[in-house]
Amino acid sequence: MRKILDGLKKYFGDFGKSVAKGDIWTRLSLVVMGAGYIGRKQIVKGILITLLEVVIILAEVLVTGPYMAKLNTLGTVQREEVLDLTTLTKTVNDYDNSLLILLYGVIGVLIIVAFVFLWISNMKAVYRLQEMKENGEHINSFAQDVKALFDGKFYITLLTLPSLGVIMMNIIPIIFMICIAFTNYDQNHQPPTYLFTWVGLENFKQLFTSGTTVTFSYAFVRILIWTLIWAVAATFTTFIGGILLAQFINHQNTKCKKLWRTLFIVTIAIPQFVTLLLISKMFGNYGIVNTICSNLGITDFLHNIGLVSSSLDYIPFLSKPGWAHVMIILINIWVGVPYQMLVATGILMNIPTDQLESARIDGANKFQIFWKITMPYILFIMGPSLIQSVVSNINNFNVIYLLTTGYTTTNMAFANSNAKETDLLITWLFTLTNDYSNYKMASVIGIITFVICAAITLLSYTRMISGDKEEEYQ
Amino acid sequence: MKKKVLSALLCASMVATMVAGCGGNDENAATDSNAGGEAAAPATEAAADDGAAAPATEAAAADPVANLIAATDGTVSLELWCSETDAYQTTMAELVEGFKAQYPDVDFDITIGAVSEADAKDRVLEDVEAAADVFVFADDQVNDLVTAGALQSVDATFTYDPTATNSASTVEAASKDGKLYAYPLTASNGYFLYYNSEVFTEEDVQSWESLTAAAEAANKKVGMDVGNGWYLYGFFAGAGCNLTMNDDQSNTCDWNNETGVAVAESIQNIASSSAFISVADADAQAMLPDGDLAAYVSGTWDSGIFEENYGAGYAATKLPTFDVNGTATQMGSYAGYKFVGVSAYSEFPGWSMLLAEYLTSEDSQAKIAEATGEGPANTAAAATITSPALSALAAQAEFADQQVVGGNFWDPAASLGASLVEGTDDVQGLLDTAVEGITQPVSAQ
Amino acid sequence: MKKTVNIIVRHIVLALLAFIWLIPIIWLVVTSLSAYKGVNYAHFFPTEWSLDNYQQLFFRPDTAANFPAWFKNSMIIGVFTCIISSVFVLMVSYAFSCMRFKARKPLMSFSIILGMFPGVLSMIAVYFVLKLLGLTDSLAGLVFVYSAASGLGFLICKGFFDTIPVSLREAAKLEGASEFTIFSRIVIPLSKPMIVYTVINSFLNPWMDFVMARLMIKSKNSADWTVAIGLYNLLQRSLIGDYFSVFCAGGVIVAIPISILFIIMQKFYVEGITGGAVKG
Repeated sequence: MRKILDGLKKYFGDFGKSVAKGDIWTRLSLVVMGAGYIGRKQIVKGILITLLEVVIILAEVLVTGPYMAKLNTLGTVQREEVLDLTTLTKTVNDYDNSLLILLYGVIGVLIIVAFVFLWISNMKAVYRLQEMKENGEHINSFAQDVKALFDGKFYITLLTLPSLGVIMMNIIPIIFMICIAFTNYDQNHQPPTYLFTWVGLENFKQLFTSGTTVTFSYAFVRILIWTLIWAVAATFTTFIGGILLAQFINHQNTKCKKLWRTLFIVTIAIPQFVTLLLISKMFGNYGIVNTICSNLGITDFLHNIGLVSSSLDYIPFLSKPGWAHVMIILINIWVGVPYQMLVATGILMNIPTDQLESARIDGANKFQIFWKITMPYILFIMGPSLIQSVVSNINNFNVIYLLTTGYTTTNMAFANSNAKETDLLITWLFTLTNDYSNYKMASVIGIITFVICAAITLLSYTRMISGDKEEEYQ
Repeated sequence: MKKKVLSALLCASMVATMVAGCGGNDENAATDSNAGGEAAAPATEAAADDGAAAPATEAAAADPVANLIAATDGTVSLELWCSETDAYQTTMAELVEGFKAQYPDVDFDITIGAVSEADAKDRVLEDVEAAADVFVFADDQVNDLVTAGALQSVDATFTYDPTATNSASTVEAASKDGKLYAYPLTASNGYFLYYNSEVFTEEDVQSWESLTAAAEAANKKVGMDVGNGWYLYGFFAGAGCNLTMNDDQSNTCDWNNETGVAVAESIQNIASSSAFISVADADAQAMLPDGDLAAYVSGTWDSGIFEENYGAGYAATKLPTFDVNGTATQMGSYAGYKFVGVSAYSEFPGWSMLLAEYLTSEDSQAKIAEATGEGPANTAAAATITSPALSALAAQAEFADQQVVGGNFWDPAASLGASLVEGTDDVQGLLDTAVEGITQPVSAQ
Repeated sequence: MKKTVNIIVRHIVLALLAFIWLIPIIWLVVTSLSAYKGVNYAHFFPTEWSLDNYQQLFFRPDTAANFPAWFKNSMIIGVFTCIISSVFVLMVSYAFSCMRFKARKPLMSFSIILGMFPGVLSMIAVYFVLKLLGLTDSLAGLVFVYSAASGLGFLICKGFFDTIPVSLREAAKLEGASEFTIFSRIVIPLSKPMIVYTVINSFLNPWMDFVMARLMIKSKNSADWTVAIGLYNLLQRSLIGDYFSVFCAGGVIVAIPISILFIIMQKFYVEGITGGAVKG
């Protein structure tokens, strides 16, 4: 915290110094950003930067400006149309579109923030140039500047385009959706015909006081718990399954290792939604598996031991809580294990053999070796990607959505919140937005999911990102 | 430091160009949406001038269609969405050709897209500005579409009067608050009972009790999708229970009163038969070739597959009665319709309305009915077409209600149906919670 | 003796497992060869065999199923996506792994956090950004959607670069090579497995994703769809009865090129993942 404060102090301090001690060129850069460079004979750079300044200001004023002006209300003029019945032509008033106002507003604000940052940095750079000139240091020509972009400053060249992509595809949409959580964008306020507006923390208050649906917090808590159980179970079952399978195939006694591996890999090659839809048809209430089970008498057997209620003449693989939860995790094992097997195979091949040898000499049996040496080694290597897959399982839309399309809950408390027992936060969110246009609540849930994921990751990742290890290996 | 600035600049300039690019697009979009209005003004003036200059053309100026033709230059590009089934796609393509032929002076570019009527609302509301100009949709979506402001109201008609030629119930269902929002196309989207007359007699299909008994005896199955509010409604409505939508789109529902409990118990009783299965449409279709499913509640969209599988035994009738407190009570149902709607954001509202009118005219409806086996909304066209499915639907019609229900009905009702099929001891409690969910307030600020 | 038993048991278990894993695939293949078009619930194997589904898929495109067009679209999107994504991932990974600059660690942490936001949620906003750019309804738009943010997936690749000995780069630097030269002449040639891994992953995207694609492609003309949207669409209530086995045939056809790709690249793929994961 203190570090950040100091950083800020230095940042603005340097800026103040530049303004205070700058000569005429440097100070002129406050208005015409390129002036400082032109004054030091960096003509091309100076012109480019001034041009950029003009473009940004024009874009702000002409394009995003009108929208940003309405950002505080998100628009006030509702769409009205008049159809002239004698000419069959339509006149529409100059209406506000809350959605576009918000989107352009977000973009406009982002540009302003970037511009201010640019402007301050520019001042400092220009001042630095002034100092260099005063000290008689060498000042780069334009060609030298460009060359540096492919050498010492190569990372700038490398990161610019990918960052732009991320800004457009991730940052802008995310900020936009976070803003939606603080508006009343729902079924009754759908742009472009109708306006929505800011409501502050109302939606969060509603969520925690059980406002939107009669059983919202009931459903929310249960769905949250199942989401976490699912994420952990799905990750670890496929992980352990993958290792065991890889271990099994890699064993010295196994013949035709490559053939076995290929058989499992074939399942990855078919698009996941095809296999998932297929499996959901197979395990449907009247699907092929049920037909076979009832022909073989398995259904009757399950009736007898009480696992299937006697009112059902099928096994509810994917249509009753409990059954469906277990089946989803099993099917996920089917989906995920081949992939994990591939990963684990590679790791097992790299396992340090000297450790295994010495353990064997010490008289450890196979299971001891596996649990004491192989597993810790794999865990050490796979730790970070495990956490990442927990997070991606929290957001695993496909498996749950495709497997439970035919699921009807018999728990009224879930049904009253448009949820079902097998929903993850993410699928519930999809139902809310897709079927009920309840964008504001969906955003609220989305933010909460995000906070949970971020918490999990930050707790476990900080060590990894801190980068203590990365230097070791180089 | 310098390089950092440069990179920031590079980055910012790209953002700037991108934004500028967007700006350009947006302006285009803005002009597009105003184009109708701007183009309108000169057109009106032109028409007015004509009128002043030559009194003889005054009659023409009063004819909106003639005005529209006169005001149109350039290509009129329209998009039409209708069901992805082959029958619809080919028939609509033929009808569109007919429409073009009717206005030979105008250059049309009409594309037909495949969107199922059931999904039309979802696809339209994703982005109303990008939606089709004219689209076919199911009657349950009128409310949501109007709420979102996506439908152009039918303020005037030019080639025929949909309110007069179509059956009254379809017109009522296409209206909201007394205003017509869509052009009725078919009136056969409701449900009734298909059965195999080689297995069941006409007496058997009179009531659920006799039907299940006969099925048990014949070792066959009878089915209905009880875990779906749309079908479940039939039982409660038949017994006189109440379900309506309020102005704020919440529901009023009294299914937890005494009658409701009796109905629920009766459903449980029917479902407890070993011959009865609660199964969704797609599953039912898949079970047909096997021959086990000998009766099923569905609609005209399935007529082909039932005809094919039941062969000579193919028959259809109104829904059976069911036993409420000892009296045989006729099941009600939802009547279903398909409408043609015009997008409120269409660039060519006039032509879109004319196309919608053309597609729903008596001749067109008859052609569609012939190709798809569905019943026309147009009363004259409906009179000319008969089939077992349509007669069954007609017999059910007097017990069928128009679907007016808020979105909060579906999930609790589906859950209620599924619970009843499974069986519960506390019927009253179940109904109470279901009604609580169905009638819960719609959040509005 | 004991060893022989062990080997036999081992192979039986493996065969059993492989069988379980292959059942759905077998069902997919046999259903695609069925003469009956709908879902067959009563029998595992079709009662009547026919190659008609494949014929329909390739030679009789109609308004609902236009497989040749879908295949072409997915192919185009796949190729461009994997080129752009791979370039982006390599660029970002090199910057984060091999260069040192002030914003490096904050940027890395920030990207990891960004990756956690539920994608389904921001989909509608992505659509409107795309609309602002005028890219909806175009293949370019989907390429943009799949590849623009691909830089965020640098983690594994960065891990791989971390394993390249720093001495290699330093030696090059002493000889006056610029960072660009090191990147293009030394690091890239050394990271073949990583490139294969990235290429496969990004190539698969357009074949697998239907949620995003369905929203971005507004056109309801089936010739404009991708394989994923098209196949998913065939399972609609009104179509499934007539197209289920065609859907299966489509699944098989898609799987063939991808399987071949996987089998050939297996070695690289394994190295790519583990190389990255080891140090990631």
